[in-house]
Amino acid sequence: MNYFIRKTLQLIECFIFVKGKSNKSVLTEIFNRSKHPFIYYLCRLVIFIPDVRGNSVKFASLINSISGTIPFRYSTIQLTMKINYLIAFAGLLLCQSVALITHAQEKKTVSGYIRDASNGEGLIGVSVYIRELENGVTTNPYGFYSITLPVGTYTFIYSYMGYERTEKVLELTKDLTQDIEMNDESQSLKEVVITTRKEDENVRSIEMSVNKVEMKTIRKMPALLGEVDLIRSIQLLPGVTTVGEGASGFNVRGGDVSQNLVLLDEAPVYNSSHLFGFFSVFNPDAVKDVKLIKGGIPAQYGGRISSILDVRMKEGNTKKREINGGIGSIFSRLTYEQPFDGGKGSFIVAGRRSYIDVLAKPFLNKDLRDSKFYFYDLTTKVNYRLGEKDTFYASGYFGKDVFGAQDFGFGWGNATATARWSHLFSKKLFMNLTGYYSNYDYSLGQKSDPAEEKDYFDWKSNIISYSLKPDFTYYLTPDNQLSFGGQYIYYHSKPGKVTAKSEGEETNISQDPRFADEMALYVGNDQKLTDKISLQYGIRYSWFRNLGAATVYEYEEINPGERKMPVYPGKEYKKGEVINTYGNWEPRFSVNFGLNSENSIKASYNRMAQYLHLLSNTAASSPLDVWTLSTPIIQPEIADQVALGWFRNFSSNTYEASAEVYYKKLKNQIDYVPGSELLLNQFVEGDLLFGKGRAYGLEVYFKKNKGKLTGWLSYTLSRTERQVEHISNSNWFPARFDKPHNFTSVGIYELNNRWSLSANFTITSGTPATFPTARYDYNGWALGDIYSNERNGSRIPAYHRLDLAATMKSKRKLFGSGQGEWVFSVYNVYNRRNPFSVFTRINEDNPLKTEAVRYAVIGSMIPSVTYNFKF
Amino acid sequence: MLHFMKSIHTFQKIAAVSLIAFGLTACEDVIDLNTTDSPPLLVVDGWINDQEEPQTIRLSLSAPYFTNNATQPVLNAEVTVTDDLGNVYRFEDKEENGHYTWNDSIMGKTGRKYFLEIKTEDEVYKAESEIKRVPTVDSIVYTKEKLPFKPDNGRQEGYIAEFYARDFQGTGDTYWIKPIIKGKPTVAKPTNITLAWDASYNAGGEVDGLIFILPLRQAITTDSLFLEGETAGVELHSITNETFEFLKQVREQSLNGGLFAIPMTNVRSNVVNQNPSGQKALGYFGASAISRMETTIIAENARPEDR
Repeated sequence: MNYFIRKTLQLIECFIFVKGKSNKSVLTEIFNRSKHPFIYYLCRLVIFIPDVRGNSVKFASLINSISGTIPFRYSTIQLTMKINYLIAFAGLLLCQSVALITHAQEKKTVSGYIRDASNGEGLIGVSVYIRELENGVTTNPYGFYSITLPVGTYTFIYSYMGYERTEKVLELTKDLTQDIEMNDESQSLKEVVITTRKEDENVRSIEMSVNKVEMKTIRKMPALLGEVDLIRSIQLLPGVTTVGEGASGFNVRGGDVSQNLVLLDEAPVYNSSHLFGFFSVFNPDAVKDVKLIKGGIPAQYGGRISSILDVRMKEGNTKKREINGGIGSIFSRLTYEQPFDGGKGSFIVAGRRSYIDVLAKPFLNKDLRDSKFYFYDLTTKVNYRLGEKDTFYASGYFGKDVFGAQDFGFGWGNATATARWSHLFSKKLFMNLTGYYSNYDYSLGQKSDPAEEKDYFDWKSNIISYSLKPDFTYYLTPDNQLSFGGQYIYYHSKPGKVTAKSEGEETNISQDPRFADEMALYVGNDQKLTDKISLQYGIRYSWFRNLGAATVYEYEEINPGERKMPVYPGKEYKKGEVINTYGNWEPRFSVNFGLNSENSIKASYNRMAQYLHLLSNTAASSPLDVWTLSTPIIQPEIADQVALGWFRNFSSNTYEASAEVYYKKLKNQIDYVPGSELLLNQFVEGDLLFGKGRAYGLEVYFKKNKGKLTGWLSYTLSRTERQVEHISNSNWFPARFDKPHNFTSVGIYELNNRWSLSANFTITSGTPATFPTARYDYNGWALGDIYSNERNGSRIPAYHRLDLAATMKSKRKLFGSGQGEWVFSVYNVYNRRNPFSVFTRINEDNPLKTEAVRYAVIGSMIPSVTYNFKF
Repeated sequence: MLHFMKSIHTFQKIAAVSLIAFGLTACEDVIDLNTTDSPPLLVVDGWINDQEEPQTIRLSLSAPYFTNNATQPVLNAEVTVTDDLGNVYRFEDKEENGHYTWNDSIMGKTGRKYFLEIKTEDEVYKAESEIKRVPTVDSIVYTKEKLPFKPDNGRQEGYIAEFYARDFQGTGDTYWIKPIIKGKPTVAKPTNITLAWDASYNAGGEVDGLIFILPLRQAITTDSLFLEGETAGVELHSITNETFEFLKQVREQSLNGGLFAIPMTNVRSNVVNQNPSGQKALGYFGASAISRMETTIIAENARPEDR
């Protein structure tokens, strides 16, 4: 794209000063005369003309043809600033679209918000379909939609999974605002049979490689210890794996856990786990919508290379006060929602805390009574609608895990705060401005006596990011929906700060703090080319800078594939000084060919860049792993992915099916030297190796959406490999989360009004492992040697598990109007001891004896009961 | 106060305890595993020092991983060590058990380089190392300690011992800190290897020329606390930076289990077969200067607890 613009286009920037004429009429005049696209931006007219540099006669006539009688000053723009290309590209799209509007007949716009009738929550992704056009749009993450149509009378059909569809006949003679409230299907009469034309969202939407799981479904699925868990549910989707039970995070299409951008109301969550990875940090009572984007990632997202997990929090009931809660085996939960100012605003506060420590206390012996082991999270959100055009949101998340005994403590947690302003500039231009703060930290330490701190050991690590992010959606025509915007992020990382003190003697073995910022600009368009073909295309330019103050070292290799040593002295940089920059163009493209109303073929390509890396050489990612910024040595990770898929709906949308193939190439993947030291190592860059990755696979998905039985079957056949110089003889080797076969099934059966039953079954290939072929005795220890020097050449046994759950609604009303339900669940029903890993070790009692050990994180069946209430 | 590595162990312990508290019972069981076999390779287990004691280089063969018999010694090899002054030390396997020894005088000297050559029937192997400087141990002190929970194979109450020594001026000194338990330098398993880079764990801290930092000082108390009347002590071995890497890799290889396992990789040997197409050798040839101190724990001499 870069090359294309440089080669064929030149930009002229003009300042227009014309007496007696408004800018608008000048623009119209130029527009009518000029064959060349232009944009008018910040009082400047930027015109795109063919590249005639070097031919001044041609150039002069060109300028004349544009300016005509209008006197204006112009200058050509230096094409050195890469950012300008982006504006140029945006402008180009805009021009084409403007041309479309201007030449079309008179058009009017219908726009509005679509909300849940029961609680006023904005609904995301609602289909707005115009029967006469056989065409439509969907609502954005704020429940807003806008469509511009020629004057006339239209039938609008609003439909959304799990909600009653709504039809409205609208006579369009002027711009209209049409807010819609939709009713939950389950609250309606049972026998409503919908026979009108289906919408086939799955087939029609441009989105591919996207999985949306309704919170309603997640709630009914069997859960470990009865705790409804978002990340664990995600792991049942095609293309998603995990290194094992209890491992934090999830792996998408060959990416590691740190390559997923986990967003909670637009703010990134750096560690999505409680209790070392068993539970995710999202309180299910406060989550409205979850979307996992594995491919065809739109230009508005960036910063991680594998996937986007976009979690949206509930806004709070705008109709009435609502209290939700529950007591499970792990958490006790309470959520409070309330409208204020007559429903213009509302808020939600949701908290969870594990309570086993409270119950266990009386039974612990004296030494353990001071033990701490609990985790909690608090989620809150306020929104306020100021008139029809402005909505303000503020949301926050705070979660912590605390473990400790006596004078020793260990804890980690995320904190995020987001403030947002949604504004309608016009019926067609929607803006969302987000500012956020996100912090992940952990600490490990002890204090012999907090009163007199003669002796202490204190280890802290954190990463803080501040960001400002404007996003615009411009509803150009029914066929073009333009999105553009940008993001600025400032990072402040303290990878490891240790102060130890003994008898007043203080030692400091801290790593230096790091500073960096990341900027991005993007523009994208959703375009319906014909009735059958729709496109989504865009480009994102991301730019990263390492900033001072810092000392930057170069490293020299001593033995290939082993630790590199710093070369002294390092180069010193002052505060705020730019040390290093990286820039990346990230093109995105998706296309949907509708074969007919029930079948479509979709294809996509995306490039992603990542400047923040999680250094982790352990099987499961640990809370102690450090998020590390790119440096001159740690280059940005880049991924290119292509995907091709076939989508089909059956029997009036009751069933949907899809098959997708993907291929992903990864650059600058991080690996580690043998004996690497990733914590509290000032020269950690010397312990890193860089390689590449590839992943490819087939994902087959079959889902039943309607009826008493709902659920899905998913099968993934895939391969994930890495190649790093000096590891595994520099050959390709399977990544530690490579699982060639992955089958999951989820079924939910609504028995009657009171009972619903559900089951999950999962069977996947075992994860790869490396076993020694020989032992040798050294210094009285038995050591292992892998003769082939291959990594991950073996595989542990397959993993399979069945879970069951039953939900029973109580007959009795709670406090008159409330509702209660019991959830009974059994995890790992047939009591299989699924290995997390198989490893070899030296026998504990005899260091010259070797043995192989199967390690299972969950070694038995786990039953549980949960009670939930709502009033 | 527990020492630093103990903190990490305690973290793991707490992880395990809290998982059990939450009803999640992890379990380990020993299973049979078929691994492919590989040809036997020469294993060198040799370390020379500056002490007045027999210097031993042990040669053996590697065996299939799950054989639990003693490994085969390599007999009839020609083992010589030459220093950078040209002195040649011939090591003899007098007992014909693969233990090649030299016992004539003090062999190692600080600052000198040593070149090992092993001639077996078919191949010639070489390795080299250097004896670096080692600081003297200043003192050993001990404090009464009670742990929050009883370690698997240790005592809950006893004395935690620590040693004092000062790193040399100039960065890049590396050491192996070996605890002396019951009169012998003891590193029971690779996870107990404690290494120092200057006065701290890794290169890069502002710790050059300091007294070894606190967590390191207490590294001489390993799995179990000391009781009154027992001896506690330390052997401080100077090692080369390359040896530091080798020992680090040995330690890492033993951390390949559990939720936070590190993938198993080979440990790089410094013994090189002179025939490039011949089989590689395993093991390591190291050289150290050693300083040592031992003390008997006496309750009255313990440092007061509430310092």
